[in-house]
Amino acid sequence: MEQQVKQVIADILGVDPDSVDVSTAKDSTASWDSLNHINLVVALEQEFQVSFDVTEIESMLSFSDILETLERKLQR
Amino acid sequence: MQHCRVLLGEDPRLSQLSFVARELEKIPRGKLGLRTLKIALLSSFSIEFINMPLTVLCFLNGMEAEIYLPGFGQFQQEIRNPSSGLYAFAPEVVVLSVEGTDWLPEIYSGYLDRLTVGFDNVVSRFSEEFLSLVQAFRAGSKAILLVNNFVPPVWRQLGILDGQVGTGQAQLVHQVNESLSSVCRKNPGVMMVDYAGLVHRFGALRWYDERMGHYAKMPIAADMLPQLAGEYLKYFRGLTGQTKKCLVLDLDNTLWGGVLGEDGPTGIQLGSVYPGSAYLTFQSEILNLHKRGVLLAIASKNNLADVEEVFAKHTSMLLKREHFASVQIHWGQKSESLKQIARQLNIGLENIVFVDDQPAECAEVLRALPMVTTITLPKQPELFVRSLLEDGLFDGLTFSEEDRQRGGLYRQREEAELLREHSGSLEDFYRSLEMEVMFAPMDKTSLARSAQLTQKTNQFNLTTIRFSEFDLAERAKDPDWLLTTVNVRDRFGDNGVVGFMMARFASSILDIETFLLSCRVIGRNVETAMLAYLCQQGSNHSIRLLQGRVVPTAKNVPSQDLFSRHAFQKADEKESGETSWILDLSKASIAWPAWIKVVADVPVTSNK
Repeated sequence: MEQQVKQVIADILGVDPDSVDVSTAKDSTASWDSLNHINLVVALEQEFQVSFDVTEIESMLSFSDILETLERKLQR
Repeated sequence: MQHCRVLLGEDPRLSQLSFVARELEKIPRGKLGLRTLKIALLSSFSIEFINMPLTVLCFLNGMEAEIYLPGFGQFQQEIRNPSSGLYAFAPEVVVLSVEGTDWLPEIYSGYLDRLTVGFDNVVSRFSEEFLSLVQAFRAGSKAILLVNNFVPPVWRQLGILDGQVGTGQAQLVHQVNESLSSVCRKNPGVMMVDYAGLVHRFGALRWYDERMGHYAKMPIAADMLPQLAGEYLKYFRGLTGQTKKCLVLDLDNTLWGGVLGEDGPTGIQLGSVYPGSAYLTFQSEILNLHKRGVLLAIASKNNLADVEEVFAKHTSMLLKREHFASVQIHWGQKSESLKQIARQLNIGLENIVFVDDQPAECAEVLRALPMVTTITLPKQPELFVRSLLEDGLFDGLTFSEEDRQRGGLYRQREEAELLREHSGSLEDFYRSLEMEVMFAPMDKTSLARSAQLTQKTNQFNLTTIRFSEFDLAERAKDPDWLLTTVNVRDRFGDNGVVGFMMARFASSILDIETFLLSCRVIGRNVETAMLAYLCQQGSNHSIRLLQGRVVPTAKNVPSQDLFSRHAFQKADEKESGETSWILDLSKASIAWPAWIKVVADVPVTSNK
C-alpha cells in the first residue's frame, strides 16, 4: 500500500515517487497547495475505493497522516 | 498522443490525468506543434479543478490549452470591466459556468420566502441582466461565449407539490433556461451549453458532491469533471474544424448480430427480439446521423452477394443500400478500405470515424492510419449507441440546409463519377455535367453555411483561416470586404453553397484572403469561374491588381497550384512556404470556363 500511496502522491504533486517519505508533508512540499490537496484526496479515493469525510480530509496533511487514515479506513 | 489515449482508457483516474498533465507541463509551450486554444473559465465556483482534465482532453484532440482563470464569483466583474484580465488575455473561447443557486438565489435557496410575493419579474429581470452581460462581453471580445444553462434544484422545497403550484422551482428554472437560450440564439457567437441535460445524463446525485461543495467550493464530483470537460471539448472541436464527416461501419456483430457468412441472410440477429432489437436501435441512431448530414460507408470482410441479399431482402434493415455513400466489401485490410473510401468521397482520413466490434480490426486501422478515430464496440449491443454518441464526434457548431441534404448530394456525386468513367475527354465530362454556378453576396441565409465552410474545408482552401458566424457577420458590414458564396447546380441536382470567397478592396488592389471550395465539387473547374468572377468584380471597380496568397498545409495540396495554373505571377515566397501571387488586370484576365453557365448578382459578360 505504501508504494501505491507514494505513486499517487508523485502523480498528483509531480515529484519523484522515491523521494516521498515520512518527511513529505503539505507544509514542506511546494506543489502540495490547497487545490492539489483536494486532487490528492480524490485520487486516493479513486485508487483505494474509499470515501473520506471532511474531518479526515483536513487531517491528511502528510505522507504518514495519509497512511494512518487509510489503514484505519481499510481495516473497517 | 495515441499512447496517451491507450494509457488513459475510457474512464481515466485523476492520478493518471495528473501524470499526463505534469508531463505536458514539462514541454515548453508551442513545442508540441499543436494548435493553441486560449480558453477563459468564468465561474461561480472553484472551476480550476477542471484544468487538468481539460488540458489533457485538449491535448488528446490536438490542441494545446492556454487557460485563464480569475477567482471564482468574479464573472460579472470580469465581463463588465473593459480593462479586466479577461480582455487582456484575449481568449478565443470563454466558458461561463455558473450554478443556478449562485446566480438566482430567489428561485433556489430563497424560493419559499419569495413564494408569497410571486416570481413575475424574476425571469424578465434575469433575461435583461443576461442580455446586458452579453452586450458588455461583445463590446470587449469577439470570442465564442459558451454559457451553461441551469439545473433544477435536486431537492424541491415544496417536495411533490412543486409540480402542482404552477410556479414550482422546476418550472421557473425551465423558464429561465428558455430566456437564456433565446438571448443566445439572437447573439451570434454566444452558445448555450445544455448543462442541465449533461447533469441529467449522469444523474444529479452522482454529479454533485456536497462534501466538496462545502469544503472546497467545488460542487461537482471529481469523477464527473472529465465529463464536463468532454462536453466543452465538443464545442472546441467544432470551433477548430475537427467535426467528423464520415462514419465507416463494419457489418457482422455491428449492424446485426451474428456472422453473415455462417448464419446466412435469414440467420442474422436483427428484429424486435433481443439481441436483434439492440442492433435495430443502433441502426436507427446511425440513420439519424445520416439525416444530420454524416456520410455513411461500409468496410466489411464479407461476400458482396450475401450483403446485397441482406439489403435487398431483410425486412428489418433500417439502413438501406442508398444510405451508404461508399461501400468496401472484400477480404482485404480495413485500413485499405478506409483509404479507398476517403479517396472516393474526397475527404481526409482525419474526418473519418471507424466503428468495429473486433479489437484486432480497430488496432490494424490505428496502426496503419493513426489519424482515423476508431471506436471499438463493447460486447453488449445495447451499449453501442452510447459508444457511438457520447463523445459528440459529429457535432458541429452549425446545422445548415446542406447538412440535411448531404446524403443525397453524395449519391449524386457517385452518379457523376460513373458518368466521368463513361465520357471521353475531360472537357466532354465537364460539358455533360451541365453545370450552373451562381455567385451571390453572403447574406443572413448563407451565413451559417459560409462559417461552416471556413471551419470544415481543408483541401481546397488557400489560407485555412477559420471564422465564426459572428466574425463573418461583422465583416459583412464593412463595405471594403467582398463576401461571395458560390452555389453549384448540375444535371444531378443542386449541390447548395459549396464555395466561399472573401476579398478586400484596397485602393487599386483586390486582395483575396479566403478562397475555398467544398471537396464535393473539386476537379470541375469551378475555381476558374470563381477567379473569373473576381476579375469581373475587379474591373467593375477599376481595380488594377488581383492579389492572393497560399498558406500550404498538409491537406490543401489540391489548391496550392491555383494561382500558378491561372497565370498569376509569384510575387513573394516566405521561409514558411507561404507564397503571394498577383495578376495585373490591365494586361491579363481570366476567362469564364466555356462549359459552366454563370448566374451572378452582377451583370456578367460571358465569352461563350
